[in-house]
Amino acid sequence: MANKDISFAVRRGTVHALVGENGAGKSTLMKILYGVQRQDEGTIKVNGSEVTLHSPSDAIDAGIGMVFQHFMLADNLTVLENVVLGAEKLHGIGGGARAEIRRIAEDFGLDVDPDDLVADLGVGDRQRVEILKVLYRGAKILILDEPTAVLVPQEVDELFDNLRELKAEGLTVIFISHKLDEVLSVADDITVIRRGTTVASVDPSEVNARQLAELMVGSQLPTPETSESTVTDRVVLSMRDITLAGGEGRDLLHDIDLDIHAGEIVGVAGVEGNGQAELVEVIMGMREPTAGTVHLEGTDISDWEVREIREAGVGYIPEDRHRHGLLLEAPLWENRILGHQTERPNVKGGLIDARGAKSDTERIVREYDVRTPSIFVTAGSLSGGNQQKLIVGREMSHASKVLVASHPTRGVDVGAQSAIWDLMRQARHEGLGVLLISADLEELIGLSDTIRVILRGRLTGTFDPDTVTSQDLGAAMTGADGSHGDAPAPADAGGDAAYPDSLTGPALAPSPAADDIEDPR
Amino acid sequence: MRQLMKVAAVVSASSLALAACGSGTSKESSASSASAGATSASASGSASESASASGSESMSSSAPAGNSDLKVGMAYDVGGRGDQSFNDAAAAGMDKAKAELGIETKDATAVNGENEAAREERLNQLVDAGYTNIIAVGFAYAASVGKVAKENPDVHFAIIDDASDASKGDNVAQLTFAEQEGSFLVGAAAALTTKEDHIGFVGGVNVPLIVKFEAGYEAGAKAVNPDIKIDSTYLTQPPDFSGFGDPAKGKTAAEGMFQGGADVVYHAAGGSGAGVFTAAKAAKGWAIGVDSDQAKTAEAGVQDVILTSMLKKVDVAVYDYLSKAAAGSPVSGNVIYDLKADGVGYSTTGDHLSADIIAKLDDYKAKIISGEITVPDTK
Amino acid sequence: MTNANLRRALLSIAAPILALFVAFLLTSLVLMALGDPVKDVWITMLSKPKPRQITNIVNGAIVLYLSAIAVAVGFKMNLFNIGVDGQYRVGSFAAALFAGQAWLPGVLNILVAIVVAMVAGGFWASIAAYLKVKRGVSEVISTIMLNAIATGVVSWLLLKVAVRTAGSNAIGTKTIPESSQLEGWKLIPGASNRIYSLLLLAVIVGLLYWFVLGKTRFGFDLRATGSSETAAVASGVKVKRMVMTSMIASGALAGLIGMPLLFGQDHSYGTTFQAGLGFAGIGIALLGRNHPVGIAFAALLWSYLDTQANGLQIRAGVAPELVYIIQGIILFAVVIAYEGTRRLDIRLEQQRVARELAAQRAAVRDQEGAVA
Repeated sequence: MANKDISFAVRRGTVHALVGENGAGKSTLMKILYGVQRQDEGTIKVNGSEVTLHSPSDAIDAGIGMVFQHFMLADNLTVLENVVLGAEKLHGIGGGARAEIRRIAEDFGLDVDPDDLVADLGVGDRQRVEILKVLYRGAKILILDEPTAVLVPQEVDELFDNLRELKAEGLTVIFISHKLDEVLSVADDITVIRRGTTVASVDPSEVNARQLAELMVGSQLPTPETSESTVTDRVVLSMRDITLAGGEGRDLLHDIDLDIHAGEIVGVAGVEGNGQAELVEVIMGMREPTAGTVHLEGTDISDWEVREIREAGVGYIPEDRHRHGLLLEAPLWENRILGHQTERPNVKGGLIDARGAKSDTERIVREYDVRTPSIFVTAGSLSGGNQQKLIVGREMSHASKVLVASHPTRGVDVGAQSAIWDLMRQARHEGLGVLLISADLEELIGLSDTIRVILRGRLTGTFDPDTVTSQDLGAAMTGADGSHGDAPAPADAGGDAAYPDSLTGPALAPSPAADDIEDPR
Repeated sequence: MRQLMKVAAVVSASSLALAACGSGTSKESSASSASAGATSASASGSASESASASGSESMSSSAPAGNSDLKVGMAYDVGGRGDQSFNDAAAAGMDKAKAELGIETKDATAVNGENEAAREERLNQLVDAGYTNIIAVGFAYAASVGKVAKENPDVHFAIIDDASDASKGDNVAQLTFAEQEGSFLVGAAAALTTKEDHIGFVGGVNVPLIVKFEAGYEAGAKAVNPDIKIDSTYLTQPPDFSGFGDPAKGKTAAEGMFQGGADVVYHAAGGSGAGVFTAAKAAKGWAIGVDSDQAKTAEAGVQDVILTSMLKKVDVAVYDYLSKAAAGSPVSGNVIYDLKADGVGYSTTGDHLSADIIAKLDDYKAKIISGEITVPDTK
Repeated sequence: MTNANLRRALLSIAAPILALFVAFLLTSLVLMALGDPVKDVWITMLSKPKPRQITNIVNGAIVLYLSAIAVAVGFKMNLFNIGVDGQYRVGSFAAALFAGQAWLPGVLNILVAIVVAMVAGGFWASIAAYLKVKRGVSEVISTIMLNAIATGVVSWLLLKVAVRTAGSNAIGTKTIPESSQLEGWKLIPGASNRIYSLLLLAVIVGLLYWFVLGKTRFGFDLRATGSSETAAVASGVKVKRMVMTSMIASGALAGLIGMPLLFGQDHSYGTTFQAGLGFAGIGIALLGRNHPVGIAFAALLWSYLDTQANGLQIRAGVAPELVYIIQGIILFAVVIAYEGTRRLDIRLEQQRVARELAAQRAAVRDQEGAVA
């Protein structure tokens, strides 16, 4: 049962935040409110009258609109066309619709030109189009599902301005998030969900982020802190002058020099899309660098295949575990083989050693606290945190030299998060060199021995986690500290701007959002 | 996926609308000639020919019996009854026999691309169902007829277009046609008609049976004019049998020939022939039909471009076989329907052939029958 | 675990049975709409096959099985090898041509001809594989094209090498020597005809398929690539090489399809050689869910329908093409049913995991409570 006894009331004209760790039941609740899934019991009332939501169109009729985390926009259509798509009956598709869109945009301060092509828009603008779409259909209650996940801080501010605007016009916003600072800054009321139940309703003025987090988790929060240094002077992984050319004459990675020592955690901070993924792909052999070398304990592995690199003792915790780390429809024990198809205990010669793999999966499940009824269930049926623990366990079982961890705690619950932090520390303690890429600055600062900042494919700064603050890092990540001035200025500065969204891609034309990043505040 | 499998397939070169021809035949020829049980071929248009189809062996007269205890099963090739073509011609012969002899009949049609075992099974099913005379239409049945006939010596079989050892048996009649002889005559007619000394041939599918048409046609044309230019093409290659049912392909091929300077084009391409006629009409050239008298069966708009048609009288052969069986003297062995037996011929509907040309054709015909000219059946 | 397996087994059996039932209903409706004798049709289709027909069903299933396995190898990799049809024609022709020369005696001739068929089929498939790997051409498009080219090439070559038999209008390759013809086995009591000896080939291929895919590293890599290409790349699978290998393997297996026919029945390759087997294989692989045993049942079902439909026109007066409607509906229904049961399975599994974990937690809490 995903949800049980969820009760909360939302006042009109407020921003109401729903917080809870991943898997707490936020998504299910959201689906119920949007008519995608039906509740088994209980009632939903809008303006005091009970509604039955069988489908999204019921929800829209009831004035409930949903803004999804992943935008559902057609790139090659204009804003007008995207908004009107599927709602042609409301105001036609021509002048009437355009006028209506302008009116809504004006009323709610959503600065969007209906005739712009969506492909030319930045992420923040796209999100505004999504909100516009919902308003155009007459929604009075907006549900926003983790709307800030794809935004850079400046865009988050703009979004919050928009939300305040909506609220002022008498609309109601349900804001789903697990970023507590944001919740505290924008919400009027907060409902906390844990394990599918509403555990608390709090007033943001009366709690701080830490208390809120403890409500979410139901216990004391762990912190990502490493104990005494285990850093040695033995370099296990060394990158020299790594350059990876992208399309259109831009380098995805440029002259990367990076050393990781045994027993060291090197953190890489950066706004998403600045070359972190490429850096990892080069190390793992999925991409061959255009120039430069990668040495693993003195051996040049620049042109090695993925498999050879993994066999040589490099563990890999991928950023997107569903796409790169697991076979979701395969049982756990087969997932234990993935990535180590040539290594014991998974294989004997050319044959799969099912018995060996199964017993070792049992061990991983036990040692890494993977919560599963058995090793025969599919990986897809586990929660994100348990999937991640399985991956970490698998990789730790083979990584003898280096562990490359990309966003290892992304989308996992707090319990799993602290377990994974422990495992990273353990790896470090065992003398592995760890490359930690994360968007969670607290995690980076807490775990790393050294923090490097990546900006537009270049490593632009080195920080000592003992002294650096999140603010310093944030400035360096956006180039606001002037560090990007060191790099030769690219011809198309706007287009070259870091772009934190995979939907638009780095090769995007100049956009307001990109300019915001360029602009030091 | 299934659609991909459904290649429109017809296995022998035939013509459109033979069913109409067949029913016409049965109306007109209630009194058949005394010498053989065959029908008058008048309905097929060769008025000048006498109606005497004589097999090579064991011919006997058959009085039309009103009632017969014959149970006839006909195993068609792909397309079956209603293909306006070869299968329909065989069906017409059987229908006529049914009407006149009072026999019981049953149709069973092949599925495209089927296994040899499926053909055997079809014949076996007919045997199981108590059919006494089983006619297999098309050479694809050769091996299965041979096998099933051996296992069922009390049942009589006939196969059309095959005379190989595979289908041979004491209880098997192999009904074949000298298509090359009929094609020789229309080839001569083409050569005598052309003003450009340039003619064409469009074959449906490149199988030996259709090559017989082409070989005879060429030989006939060259007999008239050894220097004549003959364009020749096949619409498809086996196992793609769509060349027998694709008028668009036929039209494209014939257009090419007309534009290249040919002024008479003969087709042995079944349903694709309709396209050849359209092309001839557009190019103000001549077309030659095949199997039945297409100047009567083709679409009204193009009938006047059909110079003549090479007649392959499958209906006659089937009726002939059945009438003899009904009379209690079933045929076995190879029966060749050639010029001599009037199993093939040419039509004169529309009177496009001058008396002069007809005289020359009759001359060739006599020479072929006498053996003075031997028409090749391969290239 | 046993519960999960049992549930999965039940679901996977329920889907095709449901599909059959739907096909039965819809076909009946079609028949009624057309005014055809529904009862006679089903009496014919469902009548007990005679021994002779059972042999035909098994023989038909043998070739269909080989075809479906060839397709399934591609499916497991998410490759849609529509080219099995062309590949088996090329393979059959090459093998028939080779075996007809009688360069080798008896069984040796057969074995080498089978290798020839695999090489020819594999070669034909490798063209599509190469185009996909080097040029990014979708294998769906290229194999469809290659089917057409195979048709042309084979008939052109056939005309060149064809041996004419006196009095016959059929053409074919030289008949293989009698010492290399396989008479078949009398496995069905009371049948006048025999089961193809190369039933053995189908069994071997099925076992190999099961073993290689399920038990070897190569098979694991192949399945991993099929279920998530991105995860496979990250795990060190060289996807391009995998595409190349599995496509060629699929083509080589396709080359085997015609072998039981060639050695057990037709003894030459000609215009009357069975066509369309590659396309039937696609449906059967779908129906059998790419599982070696599932495919065997699917092939038998398909062949049963084909064989029973033969008598439809004679016994019920309905064109045997009706079987295409039945088979088509079965496929449609089964694809829908499989997708439905797959989702149901995933949902049930997630629910079960959540439930069992909750139960574990509760048990732990109780224990702790007891200690306290």
